[in-house]
This record gives sequence, C-alpha cells and structure tokens, in this order.
Amino acid sequence: MTTLDRKPAKAEGRKDPWSQLLDKVGKHQDREAYHALFEHFGPQIKYYAMANGLASHAEELVQEVFVSIWRRSCLYDWRKAAASTWIFTIARNQRIDMLRKMQRSSAEMLVETEDLWQIPGDNEDEPVTSLHRLMSERRIRESLSHLPEEQITVIAKVYMENKSHQMVADELDIPLGTVKSRVRLALNKLKVILQDQNV
Amino acid sequence: MTRHHPDSLTLMEYSAGNLSEPHALCIRLHLDKCPHCRSRVDTLDSLGAVMMEEQPKVSVSESIFDNILSRIDSEPATEPDRPAAPRMGPLQKLLGEDLNGLPWKRQLGDVSVLDISEKFPGQGEQVVLQKLAAGGKAPAHTHRGNETTIVLQGAFADQNGVFNQWDFVVLNEQDEHKPVAVGCEDCITLSVLSAPVKLTGAFTRLLNPFIR
Repeated sequence: MTTLDRKPAKAEGRKDPWSQLLDKVGKHQDREAYHALFEHFGPQIKYYAMANGLASHAEELVQEVFVSIWRRSCLYDWRKAAASTWIFTIARNQRIDMLRKMQRSSAEMLVETEDLWQIPGDNEDEPVTSLHRLMSERRIRESLSHLPEEQITVIAKVYMENKSHQMVADELDIPLGTVKSRVRLALNKLKVILQDQNV
Repeated sequence: MTRHHPDSLTLMEYSAGNLSEPHALCIRLHLDKCPHCRSRVDTLDSLGAVMMEEQPKVSVSESIFDNILSRIDSEPATEPDRPAAPRMGPLQKLLGEDLNGLPWKRQLGDVSVLDISEKFPGQGEQVVLQKLAAGGKAPAHTHRGNETTIVLQGAFADQNGVFNQWDFVVLNEQDEHKPVAVGCEDCITLSVLSAPVKLTGAFTRLLNPFIR
C-alpha cells in the first residue's frame, strides 16, 4: 500500500466524503478507501488514546479500532450515522474493551462491551433518520466555534480525557454544580437538550 | 412508551464512555426501548466525533497500517460480525430468560431482593434487583446517595408518578417515597448504588429503591 494522499471525492448528496469511503470499504473491501480513512482517523484515535491515559497503548488502540472498522464495515449504514460518529463510537468501545481486558480475565466478562455501549446502526429495528443525524454533526461543528472556551474545556475533558463531571470539577477546582451548568449551557446551544423533562 | 428518561448529562457521560458498567447497562436497556433518548445519544456521539476531530494531530507510523493489513489478511474472509442467531440481550446474558424464577430473597412484606453485584467485578458498586409483589406496598423510605433504577418488569407508582417498564429514575436522600406495585405483574427493578467508600460495609441492607 502506497502512502498516497488521497482526497475523498466530492460529496454525493448528503453523504459526506468520509462516509462515502467507509461505504466503499463495507461494500467492496476497498483498500484505498480504507487507507484514506486510516490517514484521516488514525491520528485522531492515537491522540484520543494518549489523552485518556493509554499513551503506551496508543498505536495498539489504533490497530484494534481499524481491525474492528474493517470487520464491521459491512454493517455500516451512512443513513444511520456519519462515518466520523460511527468511528468515534468504535474507538470509545475499543478503549473500554482494552481497559476491561487489562483489569480482568475474559472469563469474568459476562457482558461484552457492545452489550453495554451501542454502535449506531447495529440495531436493525432502528428507524432511519438520516437527515437529522448528518445535519447534527455539521451543526455541532458550527455551534462549537461559538461556545466560550470554558465550556469547550469541560466537554473536551469529558470526551477526550474520559473524566467524570466530578473529576473535572476536582481538576479545575470549581464546584460540581459549575461543571454541570457549563455542560448544560453547552448542550443547550448545541441543541442536544431538546426536552429533558417528562417527554 | 417510557415516560421517565435519563438526563442529558448522564447521557453525555454514557456517550463519552465514562459510566461504570452497571450504570451503562441501565442506560443501554432504556435506549433499546426509547427512540427519543437513542436520538439524543446519537447527537452526543456526533459531539464526541467532532471533539475528537478538533484535537491536535499526532502522526501514526505507516507500519501500523501494514500491521492492520496483515491482521485482516490473516482472518477468514470478511464474515459480518452479526451473529446468526437472534442476539441475546445483556439482561438475558446476565440473568437468563426468567426474571421471576431467580433465587429471590424475601425481605419485609411484599419486597424481595437479589444482590447481583458480583456480576460486575471491580466496579465498586452495589447492583440490586428488587421485586415488589403485584399490588404490594413498600414501607416509606429515603435513599442513601444516588440510586439509579430502571424498571425491568411491571410498574410501580409513588407520589412522583407511575414508573413503567424501561422507565429510568434517579433517587437520592431527598426523595422519600412509598412505592406501590401497580398492574397485575410483580414489579421488578434493577438499581445501581454508587457506594461512597467511607460507607462501605454499612450497606448491608439491600432494600432500595423500595426500602432503605
């Protein structure tokens, strides 16, 4: 495999370029597309591992995530999740899986990581709501640029460093209530909170 | 249709992968039956993807890709990961098919309990199944610490409303309630109690959320 710097083709319809590439991997076992995904997402996954304390296993995590992407790509449905969202959930699950395996023998694992943390689109009964899903990533990227730094910092610690709200509060030396209100403000602006109560 | 949902902050901790296994199980069981929360988690997963993309880039050596290729080449042709048989849910894997037939321990009056903490080794949390007999009442009680509960079967009611199958509720020491099992089935719930370290050992009574 050459290190060709392959730019994804222009988006067809609402399918973003990375989702097109992932689709090709799933449908045709397209290795060029797979390599392009590796070049784009590999560094992100490596950073993710480093940020959450798996620095000495960072490239191992990249490998596990990509092997998993290959195996599961035939299940990928771009209408159910953008490629980046799908790959994020695989990276999250592989990280959890790696930590679980370090902490105990597999005989003790009654439930698999995927029984607890779902990959979007795995549930076949799930309705296809493509427009909402694909819009949301674009919308989040756009809204994120308008958020105050203090809110982004908190969200980054939760997602990248895998700290609980309590741990973020301890680290930043601010009350837990402040952390929660920053998250709520951010989620409000990102329109993640649609209706929290009595829906 | 479920009416009581996890809040967005909890769903965010789930999406980020930061919850303990028993807490994640409660969320997952709810998500499987609640399209509304499923869609909120999809959006949060997208937030995770965008956060990952926004971070500094680090280089990954090309030899890693060669390793990946040799891994996938050494495996049998890409068979989907999808299992042939209908997938068994996490609850069945943990508890089998018959919740009613578990070795319940009768407590006061209409309440039976079963501690399943040992099914989640290393999580440091107490995980308890509780059963309130159909039509039965639990004595009024409050809760110690935060207690996350999901209804697995039947329904119970208290002053906050009716909690049906797959409803999700978090109770704490401020919530005194007196639940009653409604409907014609026994009400079975799964509760996770994060035991504060200093109180470990004091949690010998297992009667939450119905009794504490």
